Amino acid sequence: MTNLFYTLFAISISLLLGKLANYLLAGLPASLYGMIFYAVFLQLNWLSADRVAVTNQWLIRHMGVCFVPAAIGIINHFQLLQQHGLALVGIIFSTTFILITFIGLLSERFLIKSVTETSDMRADND
Amino acid sequence: MINNFLINYPVLSAIFICFISISIYQLAANLQQKWLSIWLNPMLITILILVPVLVLLDINYQQYSQATYVLNMMLEPAIVALGYPLYQQFRQIRFHWREIISILALGVVVVISISFFMAIILIKAPEIAIALSLKSVTTPIGITLTDQLTGDSSITAFAIMLAGLFGGLLGPTWLNFIGVTSSKAQGLAVGSASHVIGTAVLVRISAEHGAYSSVALIISALLTALISPWLVPLLQQVLI
Repeated sequence: MTNLFYTLFAISISLLLGKLANYLLAGLPASLYGMIFYAVFLQLNWLSADRVAVTNQWLIRHMGVCFVPAAIGIINHFQLLQQHGLALVGIIFSTTFILITFIGLLSERFLIKSVTETSDMRADND
Repeated sequence: MINNFLINYPVLSAIFICFISISIYQLAANLQQKWLSIWLNPMLITILILVPVLVLLDINYQQYSQATYVLNMMLEPAIVALGYPLYQQFRQIRFHWREIISILALGVVVVISISFFMAIILIKAPEIAIALSLKSVTTPIGITLTDQLTGDSSITAFAIMLAGLFGGLLGPTWLNFIGVTSSKAQGLAVGSASHVIGTAVLVRISAEHGAYSSVALIISALLTALISPWLVPLLQQVLI
């Protein structure tokens, strides 16, 4: 129970600092600043990762329900779906696969090769 | 009759509507856990059940949105909670963070530009173009960014769900077909385009697939938040 309050407190503090950062710097939304603060505090051990683990995982597992109201907004777009439904789905489908192909090929070419070369060099040195 | 109930008993009706929304979502989530089918995506099932119910009861979106204000309020803390998986991935990426960030940043620029361009050409509505250009990130961040850039966040939520399903269902097969076979590259590719839904599929292939997919989904979301506030207005200036 104390870990639950600890996690909620940690998230609230990070969000408050996020709101302050958003007020002072603008740029990112307050919640994203909050997310970065939260990750950095955990990395610096200012917050205990062990104490937030269980509640945080529960929050992430169930957070999807918070997006239902936004998704239900599709109710306002029946006309748009009737008129442009095919174009909408076509754009989502094609751009998703363009991105998957782009990232996949670049990662295979630059990331995997560099990792392989580094490990080959390490093996040679050994 | 329902409308009178909503007006006369706002608190009671808010509790009732939140309860119905949460119950349907939780039921779908339980079904998905039991059957392990990507098509039982809780958001998809909730929309498919709840939209006809709301239409049938003659409840409009404004009334629904007011009633579920509490759920909307939880969006911000939910995004902050994503800092925990980000912290968990720090170790994973520290050896080749430059390559990963460069590749994902290029991907963000490409996908925002192409989606915006195609939407302006085919649908000719800027708020829809903004919504579609921010569909490759995880839902809370996509919705927040779309609202910030005055796009239509309900379209973003719908598009994010479809992008997740397409990439999760067909992404790994497509990547094998084009010769991208390493788990790191497949994880980064599907995670950047199909976020949580894609990651949920990849975790079942291997732990390394899942780890790199979650790295991609978190970093892509952050990069999109950094890049979109200047790229989207620039595209609006050039294309509209």
